[in-house]
Amino acid sequence: MPDSSNPDALLVENIRLGKPEAWNNLIAQYEGRLLSFVQSRLRRRAPSEDVVQETFIGFLTSLPNYDTRRPLESWLFSIAAHKLTDYLRREGRRPAIPFSTGDDSSGAWEQTGNARGASSIARSGERRGLEDEAVADGILQQIDRWREQGDWKKIQCMELLFVVGLGNKQVASKLDITEQQVANFKFDFLERLRKIVRGSRLSEDIFPELYE
Amino acid sequence: MSNPFTTAQLEAYLDESLPDEQMTAVEAALRDDPKLTEQLASLLGRRDAGVHSVGAIWRRHRLSCPTREHLGSFLLEVLPEEQAGYVRFHVETIGCRYCCASVEDLRQQHAATDLEDSHTRRQRYFQTSAGYLRGDE
Repeated sequence: MPDSSNPDALLVENIRLGKPEAWNNLIAQYEGRLLSFVQSRLRRRAPSEDVVQETFIGFLTSLPNYDTRRPLESWLFSIAAHKLTDYLRREGRRPAIPFSTGDDSSGAWEQTGNARGASSIARSGERRGLEDEAVADGILQQIDRWREQGDWKKIQCMELLFVVGLGNKQVASKLDITEQQVANFKFDFLERLRKIVRGSRLSEDIFPELYE
Repeated sequence: MSNPFTTAQLEAYLDESLPDEQMTAVEAALRDDPKLTEQLASLLGRRDAGVHSVGAIWRRHRLSCPTREHLGSFLLEVLPEEQAGYVRFHVETIGCRYCCASVEDLRQQHAATDLEDSHTRRQRYFQTSAGYLRGDE
């Protein structure tokens, strides 16, 4: 049953029913941003349009797997990213990454000390999805709270630390705050995420960043 | 040989979600730096083993991305100052690929310079994909 408060879910429902006008609407809504996304990498219009075309076909062929609770835009961007990666590989521009490079690096990520290696934990894709969702919800709750409080600096701080991967010193310099403030913000953020991991009974081994 | 990329940036590279100039820089570095290839392979191995990273979850779920409406208001300069400051940071400093693409699309829509082209494109996308539509429900 589509959710009438979610226009994208209704749109997808109509596409699933094979209605051409719904499909036309989706293309009209999303092709511009998808084309900008692809063209920012390829720089050339014709191959960018081809990749967007493949994205739309990919969307239709993957429609049975699409969960309408997931934002439609993100789903389309993720298909576009895959199609773009395929294109860049075919063109020889994006070097292939071997799955394993041998003994030297294969164990490099393993936890040391008493921690159990995450590879020893056999988990299904569904389980991973639940872990991912639990932490995403926790982060989103914090972001929403900061937004409500107008605490934009904290969002910026966490984004630079975790999305870009900068160190405390660089973040402090970029945001014009002290390193101590960065450390305090980070400590609070991680502590809340650790609570979520404990509360959801998730393994600590699979979120090593939270315990560094 | 050390490379200038953070682990979070390399994870974003694997997901095709780094800013485009950084994507190009990683690709260029990969050609000369076998250690970088090993580093990326190691990251893939971590993922396959089920290790999560906060940055990857944040990016994948687009947890701090402004809404399309907010991006439009930002372009029209009608957002409150602090919120506009955040959107600018997210687009210009973080370089979120998805939001940058949306902003560029909105900018073109506002400029209305591309209407003829986009109509032709949409027709073509429709014609080449409509055959995959299935009314099976």
